[in-house]
Amino acid sequence: MPGDNPISRNAFLYLAAQAGLDANSPHLDELFPYVQSVLSSIRSLDDIDVGISEPDMAFKPSPEDK
Amino acid sequence: MDALELCYLSAGELSRLIKTQDVSPVEIIDAHLARIGETDTTLNSFITLLPEQARAAARRAESEIQSGNYRGPLHGIPVGLKDLFNTGGVRTTSGSRIFDNFVPDQDCTVATRFQQAGAILLGKLNMHPFAYGPTGENADYGHMHNPWNPELITGGSSGGSGSATAAGQCTITMGSDTGGSVRIPAALCGIVGLKPTYGLVSRHGLTPLSWCLDHPGPMVRTVEDAALAMNAIAGHDPNDVASIREAIPDYTTALTGDVRRLKIGVPREFFEAPLDPEVAAAVQQAISQLEHLGAIVTEVSFPLFQHAQAISGTILMAEASAYHRDLLAKDGDKLYPPVRIRLEAGLFITAIDYLKAQQARSVFNHETRQILTDVDLLLSPTEPVTAPPILAEKVQAGEQTIGTTAALTQYTRPYNITGGPAISVPCGFSESGMPIGLQLAGKPFDELTVLRAAHAYEQATNWHTRRPPI
Repeated sequence: MPGDNPISRNAFLYLAAQAGLDANSPHLDELFPYVQSVLSSIRSLDDIDVGISEPDMAFKPSPEDK
Repeated sequence: MDALELCYLSAGELSRLIKTQDVSPVEIIDAHLARIGETDTTLNSFITLLPEQARAAARRAESEIQSGNYRGPLHGIPVGLKDLFNTGGVRTTSGSRIFDNFVPDQDCTVATRFQQAGAILLGKLNMHPFAYGPTGENADYGHMHNPWNPELITGGSSGGSGSATAAGQCTITMGSDTGGSVRIPAALCGIVGLKPTYGLVSRHGLTPLSWCLDHPGPMVRTVEDAALAMNAIAGHDPNDVASIREAIPDYTTALTGDVRRLKIGVPREFFEAPLDPEVAAAVQQAISQLEHLGAIVTEVSFPLFQHAQAISGTILMAEASAYHRDLLAKDGDKLYPPVRIRLEAGLFITAIDYLKAQQARSVFNHETRQILTDVDLLLSPTEPVTAPPILAEKVQAGEQTIGTTAALTQYTRPYNITGGPAISVPCGFSESGMPIGLQLAGKPFDELTVLRAAHAYEQATNWHTRRPPI
């Protein structure tokens, strides 16, 4: 994806339609910058070295918690 | 006893008077209903009030106690439930008019356990719609108002629980905490809010926001009451897949007042984040107080704190949008606009983003466990600011202006990620008279240490004895 935008307008509209949103709704003009903001903010996940960690889908007590 | 005094007694104090029959549950419920009548046009804590049901329950409790069938410390105690806790025969709106007429067939497990303990349900409490926001704003049922200054937010999402407890409308309330929704209103309203370890209190019969981050928890005026509430509601529930089979201690055994040699870590990074100087000063005083009581306070490093918002936010948004997808498709235009836009934005989070966040969560939890091998508790402000005005989109935290949602969840989200217990206790007031909260977080299942430290601090100070001007 080019530049600082995590998602292009066209990709946004395509995905919005796939997600069942009305692609012709003026509401999408408000949603688009919000989605860009959200996707930008979660880019910081790429800064975390997750190595080979498996996803922690829900809290599970580890043996040392007992 | 004066009716207003009854409303401000703790559950512990009331229970001792009820047991000796110096006060009747009927007097207590009448006093609270009168208090609600006097204050709720200002506060808007309740979505549904149950005066006749509560009075009938109070008469039954009075009769049982007079017959020698005293059930325990919650018998005859007025409680309120955030309106996403299902109550059989009583509408449960999740804070949205879309569910204005939804009447569940059955109680949630928490409601059942309160009822078994003899507590009396006064009503269902206002909340941020679907618990999806930290401010306590609600266009459908009206915004919640802070008892210390009704022009300011209660915090959320359990805002009605915060205002009802702080204003003496209920003795114990319940909230749910996905990114801070018990601790945020507790801090901003000047009460105690406990987010227990994930899986310790059943989520069965609660409207989910994020399956793996939701934690029901008590909101009360004293740490003793948090312990008493936990004694009633904690424990395995086969109806909740996340419920954990753990031996449940008597949480009141934590209330020793002794924190000598307790090791408390203060994460340096928390104080490098945007923070109001008045809040920072109050928390520094609390640290000094705990040291005076014999705790050993040391600075620790929590480097992944800076990623807590991204980890928690990604998981929460994806799960909330997954749960509410049908609602969004059917009634999206009826949703509170800020909730609608968050739910819609969650549709754009990919499976890879979600799983990356869950991987990052593993790393985050490993780091937290490492820190908690050296110390017993982590200490921080609960909130970086005191309550901002209703509908404020940004807040001033020290020299920085930041978004209200990001600010309010800044210190609370880390412990939804870890699943460990965290409590907010009052630790001071701003010059403008608004409460400030202290957060203490512990190891999973170590509620006893969290409660012990919170109680010792509370008993050494008088913040919890102050009452809002309403």
